[in-house]
Order: sequence, then structure tokens, then C-alpha cells
Amino acid sequence: MENFKEKFKEEAIENINDLEKALLELESSPQDKELIERVFRAMHSLKGGGAMFGYANISEYTHNLETVYDRVRNDQMKIDENLLNITFASVDLLKKFLNEEDQDPEVIKEKNFLSGEINALINGQPIPNQPVSLQPFASEEKNKSLKTFYVLFIPEENIFDNGTNPLFLLDELGSLSNDFVVYPHVNKVPGLEKINPESCYIYWEIYLSTEADMNAITDVFIFVEDECVLQVNKISEVNLLQNKEFLNKIDKTYKDQVDADVNELTKFAYNLSQASVEEKKKAEEKPGINVKERAISSIRVASDKLDNLMNLVSELVTVQARLDLYAANSEDAELLAIAENIQKLSRQMRDIAFSIVLIPIETMLTRFQRLIRDLSNELNKEVIFVTEGVETELDKTIIENLLDPFMHIFRNSLDHGIESAEKRIALGKPAKGKIMLKAFYSGANVFIQISDDGAGIDPEVIREKAIRKGFISQDAQLSKKELIDMIFLPGFSTSDKVTDVSGRGVGMDVVKRKISDIRGEVEVESEVNVGTTITIKLPLTLSIIDGLLVKIQDTFYVIPLSVVNKIYAAPHKDLVNTFNHLVVLDGRQIPFYYLREELGVEENQTQMEEVVAVKYEDREIGLVVDSVEGEYQAVLKPLGKHYKKQDFFSGATILGNGTLALVMDTNKAIKRFSIQ
Amino acid sequence: MEDLSMDNIENKISSYLSFKLGDEYFAANVSKVLSILEMTKITKVPKSPDYMRGVINLRGTVLPLIDTRVKFGMTPTEFTVNTCILVLDIDMDGESVHIGALVDSVHEVVEIEESRILPPPSIGSKYKSEFINGIAKIGDDFVMILNMDLIFSADEIVDLKESSENVEITEEAQEAEVNNHS
Repeated sequence: MENFKEKFKEEAIENINDLEKALLELESSPQDKELIERVFRAMHSLKGGGAMFGYANISEYTHNLETVYDRVRNDQMKIDENLLNITFASVDLLKKFLNEEDQDPEVIKEKNFLSGEINALINGQPIPNQPVSLQPFASEEKNKSLKTFYVLFIPEENIFDNGTNPLFLLDELGSLSNDFVVYPHVNKVPGLEKINPESCYIYWEIYLSTEADMNAITDVFIFVEDECVLQVNKISEVNLLQNKEFLNKIDKTYKDQVDADVNELTKFAYNLSQASVEEKKKAEEKPGINVKERAISSIRVASDKLDNLMNLVSELVTVQARLDLYAANSEDAELLAIAENIQKLSRQMRDIAFSIVLIPIETMLTRFQRLIRDLSNELNKEVIFVTEGVETELDKTIIENLLDPFMHIFRNSLDHGIESAEKRIALGKPAKGKIMLKAFYSGANVFIQISDDGAGIDPEVIREKAIRKGFISQDAQLSKKELIDMIFLPGFSTSDKVTDVSGRGVGMDVVKRKISDIRGEVEVESEVNVGTTITIKLPLTLSIIDGLLVKIQDTFYVIPLSVVNKIYAAPHKDLVNTFNHLVVLDGRQIPFYYLREELGVEENQTQMEEVVAVKYEDREIGLVVDSVEGEYQAVLKPLGKHYKKQDFFSGATILGNGTLALVMDTNKAIKRFSIQ
Repeated sequence: MEDLSMDNIENKISSYLSFKLGDEYFAANVSKVLSILEMTKITKVPKSPDYMRGVINLRGTVLPLIDTRVKFGMTPTEFTVNTCILVLDIDMDGESVHIGALVDSVHEVVEIEESRILPPPSIGSKYKSEFINGIAKIGDDFVMILNMDLIFSADEIVDLKESSENVEITEEAQEAEVNNHS
């Protein structure tokens, strides 16, 4: 059961996130029907799951919320700020429920308050009379009179396996209905000697009269739709369960141990209802709506399975390269054709496998949007949040590790960075502050920049504070950058008063530590009254990069294509015995590093060598290699702990012939060469 | 350190894989050995310590390769038909790390009773005794049972480097010589 609970939690978190995301979008387009549907669906899943796994408070609470959104859905209510605020607060509350903090008196208080608000919404707003619709279909759907449904629910034997209790479903169905008749069928129950206590042998026929429509009934079974046979039919447009004749009829059918024949029942009901309600149209719903036909758009996969998949695919590519080589040598036309086909397939497979493990930065943005929305309300500051390059993809684990540091950074920006509207206007800035998140690839790295156009960090304030706290002495001479970097020191917080938001002195040092845990680097640039930019540089541990395959002696290296400007051929004699390590190419002098020498490979005899001009900071630097082999799509694999000191290689990649090529981090390499 | 190694051998009968470095026999607990590979193409990682021979492609993953001989202060391994790579599962700072260890040849898997394992010699040995869990006699040969975790974990590498700065230089010279031949 714990297992299922975990799974439910996981799913619930996803639902809550989805809910939050939809709400944020709803804020800007409150009329969007599809978004309202999404909100509703997420709530419904939460409610159902909550009830099933013993989170009664979640299901109870969402039930009320759902009622509100059901009205919104039916155009009886409008999305407004009040409703959104309540809903956002509710989302937070649900998160707390999920963490089982519901015994916390604070949480209980919050729950009571919000429940009150929601009830006010439900009760306070009179339900407007149904507008007369021209569409007969719609008017029928919304007709508040009772209809009679027949539900056949045959759970699969293994339905208990995932913790479903079918009786709860019946309960829920009961709560929907006015009159409710259940006939359990026990004829499938085997003899005692064969019975498996963990299997479900019983199935139910249910007759109910309700105001709800067919969808509401099938929704009850939304979580078990793959584990049961479900048939829902509308038998009549009127409530037949008050009708003696009908009750006798269904009773008899049950006692005869046969399943009800829906067509016959419908006919019977029709005749009955004809007598009472003359104007009712014949039930137009076709019997047996297949509820199984909902498309599955995504599934959950354990991440170690993905790792395995990745390894297998890499190996497949390796074997593929061997097959190609063998086929080419064999001169067997058919073998060649087969090899070619397999190559096509394996390439597609490789691309898909890679795309599976990388997720765009976008996926973590919702919570930041939310944070900024809430904080800016709380602090009474107006802020727009702009993003750029959020489609940049990163390994899932890296993204997870970024959440906390990013929270800190955004909080700081909002609390200390962005000034109040009056102050901004006085400074000649637009009243609305701007926080920007920008992500991009550079070399073998992903850069994420978070910048604000706020007050910036005043190095003098930091100096005073550092002196006061005893970090530096009174007369220490520090550059501006050194001073600003002091915010990364543990226990250093620039805010004098501790606010709810930040200023506890555990901000930036935690950010720095967490990011260096995933081999990333943090840098701060700040200008007083102009703003602060925090740049986070992350390695692409598990990632594909387009590279340039080069060769030195008999070892292959990959230089990330994104840093390569141009490739030149140069005679060996121009590159040795140079005094200042400059080579003239395209009429310009370019400083270069002779990689053979730098990497400790002995001199060679090649006449012509090639200079790969790469970007380094804002300059161009030549790296001299024996030869350039061509472009290569490299899958980065870590070199392992034993090579952590050789960090100018970001990893290795497997070449088609099964050998390894080292992937160079040109920035780190050049930095290292330059200090030698 | 000594206590730890004594604890490790207080188990009944264990299987050991014996291998040869030069003329001497060593053994590793089989639980540490994942597989044995034939020599394959090594990609050297420049600017790395001499005992780090490079990396190899082990079925799609990158495996760091350690020259066990260099690690033990011998001359670098010269490749013969018998040269093998032991794929080892090493406990490194509490984390399981896979590495390859070059050995001159692999001998056999033997079962050795705990009572037949003698404590490591403390004086007059050319190997650091904390690396050795004990010594056992198999046939006519003495086999040194190695503490693989300790030998191949990072801290030890650093220690070695620091304690034998002078040796490093001569080894570098040797390495260069090997490169010249290849």
C-alpha cells in the first residue's frame, strides 16, 4: 500500500503542478474554456486519487473546489481575481495536505478559512436560471430533472492490486444520485478451495437516478477504466426508480441471474415514461459508450530504465558502425542493404532515446512564475517575468537540483533587487520591474542567466558589512568584483532586517554550494541602480553535443562545434619556433596553443597541420591539431571520479569504431594552458 | 587500517581471483571483480597521473583504466597476449565506482579458508602493508590478498602521489620512453 501511496503522491504532485500552471495561464486568459477544463480535470483526478489512497482531506477539499469550477465550466460563474487567489492558496494547502502536515494547527486554520471562502463562493452566488438554449442537446444535458441510468461495472479480478476499493466507487456513485439501486452479482465467486482472497469476483449492476450527465458517471470510474468493464446507459429521461413496475422488472431480472438487457430496458422504460411524460424524447444516447478510448499521452518510466536504454542505444550505434564497416568490405549487396536499413533505424532510435532523457528548462518555470506572482503581491511590487531560451534542454537531475538555488535567487531579486514603483519612477525607470531568465548553450555548457533591473548590489555597503562582521579588515583593498563575490560567503546577508522572504543569511552561499554540487559555477555582476545579473554555468553531463572531431597522433578529440569559428591549414614550420605564439591567418594575428605540446604528446613530422580557431571569452584562440576529421555528434560520457582533476575534458564519447574520443572543454583547457 | 583489514577476513571460505604482476601472485576477492577483459584500445587522457593509463569503452560506458604495476611502484605494464583488464567495483567514498585494472595475467579462481590467510608482513616488504589483507599459500606460491577498495580509491592515489614525488619523476621519464616505442 505504501508503494501505491508513493505513486499517488507522485501523480498528485504532477496534478497539482498542472493545476498551478493552468491557473497561471487562466489568469491572463480567464475565458479560455480549455484551461478551465484542465483545471477541472486536475482537480478531479486529485479528488478521486485522494479518496482512494486515504487522503480524505484532499478529496473533501478538492470536491468543494471542484464544485466551484463546475459552475465556472457551466458559465454560472466567472473567473475573477478573488477566485484565483483562493484557488492559488488552495493549491498550496493541497501541497501541505500531501505532505501530511494536516495536523499542523496553522494548516487547519488555513483550511478552515479557505473552506469558508469557498463555501461563500458556492452559496453566496445564486445559481442563475438556466438560459434557454437553442440547441436541444445542450438543454437536455443541463436539464435539472432526474434521469435514470443503468451502470454495469465488472471489475477485473486483480482490481485490488493497486489499492482500489470498488465499494468506494459505488459510494461515490451513490453520492451522485437521488435514488440508487445496486444489485451485486456473486455467481462468479468460485468455491472456497479455489478462492483467492486477493481477487475480486463480484460485479455490480447499478440503477440510479440523478441530475448528473453521463460524463459525471463515467468520471467516477476514471481511475479504474483500464481495470474493469464498464457500461453506462441512459435508460430514461425520467426518474424510474420511483416507479413500482420498473423496480419489479429489474428485481426480476436480477433474481433470474441474468444481466439486464439494456435495449429491452430502454424500451420498457420508454413505454413507462411515455405514459408519464409524453413530451420526452426517446433516449438518444447509443448504448454502451466505450470509456476505454481515451488516448494516453504520456507514461511514467523509472529513470534507471532510461539510463539502461541510453547505454543500449549507444552500444547499438557502436555495433552499427562495425556492421557498416563489415558490410562495406564484404561486397555483398544484400548485406549492404540490410546494414543501411539498420543504420536508419538505429539513428532514429538514438535520436528518440536522447530526446527522452533531456527535459526543457521550461518544465521548472511554473513554480517560479507562481513565486514571483505571489511575492510581488506580498511585497507590493509590480514585476514582469520574461523568459528566453527556455526550450534549452538539460538532464532531468540537473534541473531538479536547480530548483532550490533558483528559488533563492528569485527571492533575492524581488526582495532586495526590484524597488518599489515610486522609487523606480523617481529613478527614471519604468514602474514595473523586470526579472529575466535567459538560457542558452555555449560550448559544452548551458548558461542560465537571471537578471533584474533593480537596485543592484552596492559594493560599499558590502564592504561596511564585511568589516562589521569581521570578514575583512578595515583597510583591506578589494576590487569591486571581490566585494560583490562576498555575498557567497556563509553567514553573509546584506539585508539588515530579516523578512519573510530573504535575509536569513543562508541565501547565496547555499546557492553556490548547491550549484557546485552539480559541477556548475555561479557568477554575479551588478551595477548600482542598473540591476544584477547572476550567471549560472552548468555542464552538460548527459547530453549530446555537435562537435568537431580532430586527431592528434592516434587519439581523437572532440571540440564543441559551438565554439569553433573557423579552421585553417598551416604549415608546421609556421607553428614551431615562434617566439610569441602568434600565427597570421586571414591577415590577422591569432594567438595559438600547440596542442601536442600542451597535452604532452611528442613532436611529429607532419608538414601541414590545422588550426582550429575557437572562441575564448571575447577573443579568438587557435588550437593546433594534426588533422580535422569532420563533424561528429558526440554523446558525452563522464570520465569518472579518477579524472576529476582533468576537468578540461568534459567527458568522452564513443566513436563508430568503438574507440573513445575525449571531449574538450575549450574554456577550461585554454585557461589551464594560459597559467602554465 | 590494520583492524579493518583483519575484520574483512574473518569470514569462512571466500573465493579469490589470483593474478600476476611480474613474477608475483596477488589475489582479489571475487566479489570485487565484475569481469575480465582482453586488452582493447586505450585512449590516453593527457595530463593525468602515470598510473592512470587512460579510458576504455566498456560496452558503451567509459571505464578509467589503472595500471596496477605503476600503482605498486613497478615499471609500466608492457602489453602481451596475457595482459588482462580486471573490471572492478570499487568503494570510493561510499560510492560504487567501476574501474579497470591492468594486470600481467590472470591465473585462477581459488577458494581460501580464512584460517589459511596469514597477516601481512609488516617489515621488509616492498609493498605498503595496509594495501594487503593477508597472505595465503596456494600450491608452492605465496599469494598476497589485496584490499582493492583501498588501493584503487581516490584518497590513496593522492597519498601515493604526495609520498613519492621523486618516484613520479622517474616514472614520467619511463612513461615517455614507452610512448616513444608505441
